[in-house]
Amino acid sequence: MLKVDNINVYYGNIHAIKDVSFEVHDGEIVALIGANGAGKSTSLKTVSGLLPSRTGSISFLGSPIDRVPAHKRVAMGLSQVPEGRRIFLQMTVLENLQMGAFTSKADTKADLEKVFEQFPRLLERKNQIAGTLSGGEQQMLAMGRALMSRPKLLMLDEPSMGLAPILVEQIFEIIKSLHKAGTTILLVEQNAEMALKIADRAYVLESGRITVSGTGKELAASDRIKKAYLGG
Amino acid sequence: MQFLSFLISGLSLGSVYALIALGYTMVYGIAKMLNFAHGDVIMVGAYLIYVVSTMQGLPIWVGFLASVVGCTVLGMVIERLAYKPLRGAQSLAVLITAIGVSYFLQNAALLIFGSSPKSFTSVISKKPLSLFDGALVISWEAILTMIVSIFIMIALTVFINKSKQGKAMRAVSEDRDAAQLMGINVNRTITLTFAIGSALAAVAGILLCSSYPTLTPYTGAMPGIKAFTAAVFGGIGSIPGAMLGGVLIGIIQMLANGYISTQLSDAIVFAVLIIVLLVKPTGLLGKKINEKV
Ligand SMILES: Nc1ncnc2c1ncn2[C@@H]1O[C@H](COP(=O)(O)OP(=O)(O)OP(=O)(O)O)[C@@H](O)[C@H]1O
Ligand SMILES: [Mg+2]
Repeated sequence: MLKVDNINVYYGNIHAIKDVSFEVHDGEIVALIGANGAGKSTSLKTVSGLLPSRTGSISFLGSPIDRVPAHKRVAMGLSQVPEGRRIFLQMTVLENLQMGAFTSKADTKADLEKVFEQFPRLLERKNQIAGTLSGGEQQMLAMGRALMSRPKLLMLDEPSMGLAPILVEQIFEIIKSLHKAGTTILLVEQNAEMALKIADRAYVLESGRITVSGTGKELAASDRIKKAYLGG
Repeated sequence: MQFLSFLISGLSLGSVYALIALGYTMVYGIAKMLNFAHGDVIMVGAYLIYVVSTMQGLPIWVGFLASVVGCTVLGMVIERLAYKPLRGAQSLAVLITAIGVSYFLQNAALLIFGSSPKSFTSVISKKPLSLFDGALVISWEAILTMIVSIFIMIALTVFINKSKQGKAMRAVSEDRDAAQLMGINVNRTITLTFAIGSALAAVAGILLCSSYPTLTPYTGAMPGIKAFTAAVFGGIGSIPGAMLGGVLIGIIQMLANGYISTQLSDAIVFAVLIIVLLVKPTGLLGKKINEKV
């Protein structure tokens, strides 16, 4: 479904992503884990088109998307929940969801109902200004908003960041149920333990390079990964 | 009664400032730049209606249409040619470019029309409205200006708050990257903003020239600066702020004009601005929302 082939991404002189390649197959949950500053967010931004790669190629659903601008990638079925949620704080919950459906030609009403079913809390707060939501609610809104475009591939950048353990559980449950409903998922997480548990496959990024890859189970069992990311 | 008369002329002038200020504030909010050529678009609009209706003698509505369409296109062209290549450049570079565009428009007008003032035939030829046995005289231009401005401001507010494109504009203004992740075409949204702002400037130019009917290449400069002041006064980036700021600046100017001194009125306007910014640096309705991280 997604094939990232040998990309190199720079911020000015900073070489943030070095010769990175990875793939996400139809129906998978793939995790991208790594320490702070490893280049996880940069990788996702490059896939969604916010950043350019100097080399290589990215293809989605079998065709290269290197020349497709970010806003058109959304309509192709690529959706990202950015790090730090990035919801529109001054707009209402409903308006945020409508923005998620900006490119959608489908029945927005039905999609809204689906999102509200998944996140009943958002329905209660439909007309509330998003900036006044709690952190957890904002995360739900960010995910709901991304789902409004009916993505084929949903990319989540640290959805558990800053949330209480119980909410983290809940977010992971939601990811699993989205996956069950047929959405392919690329998950970036600091919370490697949770991520490896639900991932079919995973890649480890270190200082801009992919150093290890394998199935979620393999990585969770590997001594090296345990030491570096699973606290023992 | 005198007060009422000053107030009404202030409201009328202020609503023109508000229309212009909306262009500044929308462009600032969405494209994150100060478009200092905005005032000169007013001047171009006024020359267009002068050429079409006064020189060619075509009906006033044809001139009006030519002016609005011409300015809309001009705004989009300026954005495409001068500002778009600088997307992501330092804001100082963009600012200097905007000043350059402003000089370009002024000098182009100077070249075509010369520096001698052109007199503008008023849109309305009716006698002013006289109330309370002539104690209060209101020009029809002032009344028309207020009605047109209020109508436009309501329409714009509805557009920004309710329409899909309007919401997209708010989204781009808040977070450009996140807006792109929604599938919003940021470049197109910015172009649309320039188009709307310039159309409003055209309308403002027509209203302004029907009340103050002399036209020179520098006609747009002073109202442009006043309207920019109004936008800052109301809180730059805020649409209701621009409306409120424009109306208040107009009223302050006219009251200062009437009660204190014509020469000092501009100084008083800027003094009020400075005081407001000292007390509330974000302007009257400008806001800073705390972000939860
Ligand atoms: N806008 C930027 N300008 C310059 N350097 C940047 C920018 N954004 C990220 N970087 C650098 O690029 C590298 C990768 O950053 P990235 O945000 O991708 O890391 P990450 O893996 O997502 O980290 P975290 O887990 O902390 O979110 C870091 O060294 C970072 O300092
Ligand atoms: Mg990150």
